[in-house]
Amino acid sequence: MAHFTLAVSEGTFRRSFDLLKRNLRFSKSDQASFGIFVAGYDVRAHLEGGTLDLRADNTISVRELDIRWDRLRFTLGINIPEICVGGGCINMPWPIPDICLPRVCVFSGNPDISISPDLAAFVAQEVSFTGRVVARYFDASVPPPLPDLCAPIRIEPLPDHNQWHIHIDPQTIDVDLFDFPDIVGNLIENTLSNAVRAIIPGGFVRDIILAIIGGIADFIRFLLDIPDEIDEWLSDLFNVSFGLLDFIGTLVLDFFSTCNPIYRIDDPFELLPASNGLIPVRIPLRNLSVRVNDAEMVAEVDIGG
Amino acid sequence: MALTDRCDIFGSVHEKGINRIVRHLMRQRPSLFNYGTAFFLRNPNLLCERIQAAPEVLQAHDPLLSVQDPVPILGAAIPLGLNWCLQFTDLQIDFHPGNVFHLPNELGNLPAQRLALRMRGCFGLDCPSEEFIREILPQVEAEEVAQRGKEVFGTKERQPAAPEREPIVLPTRKLQCLCVELFAVLHFEWGTIPGNPQQWLKLRLDGLEIVDLGPAPLEEMAECYIRAVLKLGILPRLSVPIEAMVLNITELMRKQGLAIGETITLQPTPVPAGVPNNPAVEDDRLKAFINLVVEV
Repeated sequence: MAHFTLAVSEGTFRRSFDLLKRNLRFSKSDQASFGIFVAGYDVRAHLEGGTLDLRADNTISVRELDIRWDRLRFTLGINIPEICVGGGCINMPWPIPDICLPRVCVFSGNPDISISPDLAAFVAQEVSFTGRVVARYFDASVPPPLPDLCAPIRIEPLPDHNQWHIHIDPQTIDVDLFDFPDIVGNLIENTLSNAVRAIIPGGFVRDIILAIIGGIADFIRFLLDIPDEIDEWLSDLFNVSFGLLDFIGTLVLDFFSTCNPIYRIDDPFELLPASNGLIPVRIPLRNLSVRVNDAEMVAEVDIGG
Repeated sequence: MALTDRCDIFGSVHEKGINRIVRHLMRQRPSLFNYGTAFFLRNPNLLCERIQAAPEVLQAHDPLLSVQDPVPILGAAIPLGLNWCLQFTDLQIDFHPGNVFHLPNELGNLPAQRLALRMRGCFGLDCPSEEFIREILPQVEAEEVAQRGKEVFGTKERQPAAPEREPIVLPTRKLQCLCVELFAVLHFEWGTIPGNPQQWLKLRLDGLEIVDLGPAPLEEMAECYIRAVLKLGILPRLSVPIEAMVLNITELMRKQGLAIGETITLQPTPVPAGVPNNPAVEDDRLKAFINLVVEV
C-alpha cells in the first residue's frame, strides 16, 4: 500500500474540462512589414463541445473537441511609395495674387491596397486525443544518449539532479483541420436562422422554426461526420492513428512529450528549506506512479528509507 | 470501490509514510529533537543517547542540538549552572487499527477513528562530583560572606545593579539520565469555537500514559501536567478553521494569468452528509475527502 495517495474522480476531470472550455479564450493579433508588403493576423478562438473520458485501459480520451474561431482575419497589403504632383506657386506681379497649384498625392495610405478576409465562418477544427499519463525517473548520473535527439526540442534543460518526470504519452490523435460537418452545419444553421429572424420578428412560432433548423443542422453534422466517426473508432480499436497527417502528428507529439515532461518533482524532495545555516531536509521519493481507471486517476508515491 | 466514490478528490497518507518522514527529520534536523547546554556541542558522546545524524549533517557541521542555558544551582552566591539535555529519541504514529506499536494496558486497544502517538524521551542532568564541589566551595563561601557584609553595612541597595555574570558551568563527566516512554491517543473532531461560528477541525486527547515512571504519585503528577499542557496549551493551537482549508482555485488561476468568471474552490467534503468522517483515521491511514465547488 502506497505511503501517499491522491485520487481525482472522472467527474472532477469533466467539470474542470467544462470550466476550461467555458473560460479559455485565445486571442492574438500582430502585423509586420516586409518591404512594400504588409501582412498581419487578428485571431480569436474558443473551445466547444468535446467529451472527456477516463478509461479502464489506463488512458484518458478527449473526443471531438471543437476549436471555434470567433475571428480569423488575415491581412495582406501593399505599401506603394507615395507619389505627389503640384503644390507649387507662380509669383504674379502686384496686385495680382500668386497662383498656387493644388498638391495631389496618391498612395498615401498605409497600406495602400489591402485585403482582409475573415475566415471564421468557414473554418473549424476538431481534435480527438487519447493518451496516458506516465511517470518516469530521470537519473542524473546516467549520461544522456548520444546523439541526444531530444536536445533541439527540449523546452527546459536536463536537471543536474535526480527527478521524477510526469509525461503525457499520446496513443492516438485525430485532427480535422477542416471540420466539414461543423462548417457546413454552422453555415446552414446561421443562414437559415438569420433569414427566419428577418422574416419573423419574434414569438413562439419563430422559436419553433429555429429549433427545427437547429435539429436539421445537427442531423446534417451527424451525417457528414459518419466517416470521421468510423475513422476515430478504428483508431481507438487498433490504438493507432489513421491518416498520414494524424499518424505523423502522433509520432511528433509522442517524441515531443517523451522529451518534455509536463511536471517535474525533485528526488529527494525538499521538505524543509535550508535555514539559519542548517542544511535542507530532503526525503527520497520512490515508486511514483499514475494510473487511470474508468472512475478516477490515482497517483501514488512512497517515501524511501 | 473507487477512492472518490463519495468525493471529488481523495488524499491519504499511510502511517509508514509519516513515520519515515519523522525519521528523516530526526536524522537531518537533529536540533529539532535534541536540546541541551553548549557543552554537548563539543561533547555529544556524553549525551544520554547517541544522536543518529545523517552524514550530510555532519559534513555541513550543522549543530546536533539546540543550545539552552544551564540549569542554575539555586541559592549559590555566584552564578553556577549544571549541564543538562532533553532528547526525543523516538516518535511514531499509529492510525487505527493499531499495529505499529503496542499501547500500554492503561490505554487499551486503539478505538476506531483514533490515532496513537508514541514518544520516547530522555532527560539528562549533570551530577557534579564531590571533588569539584570541594574545589569550588571556598570561592562560593567567600562570595557569600562578601555579600553578607554588604548587606550588614546597608550598601547593597545603593550599589548600582551589577551586570549579570555568565554562570560557571560545572564540568560534566557523566549525565544522570532518565528515559521515559509516553503514549497518547487522539482523535479529530469538528466543532465551533465561542465567538466564531465557523467549523474548526480540532485534535482531541483521549488518553495519555507515561510508562514505568516511579513512584506512582510522581507518574500521576507528570501525566496530569502533560495532559493539561496538551489539552490547554498545545492542541488548541493546532485547531484549523474550515476557511483555512478552502483552496481558492480561481485566485490561483488568476495569478497564472487565466481569468475565470466563476468561483472555484476545493473544500472538505461535509460530515456526515458526504462522508461519515473527514478526515478519517482508518486502514492505517489518514484520509481526506475534498469536493470541487463551482459557484457562478
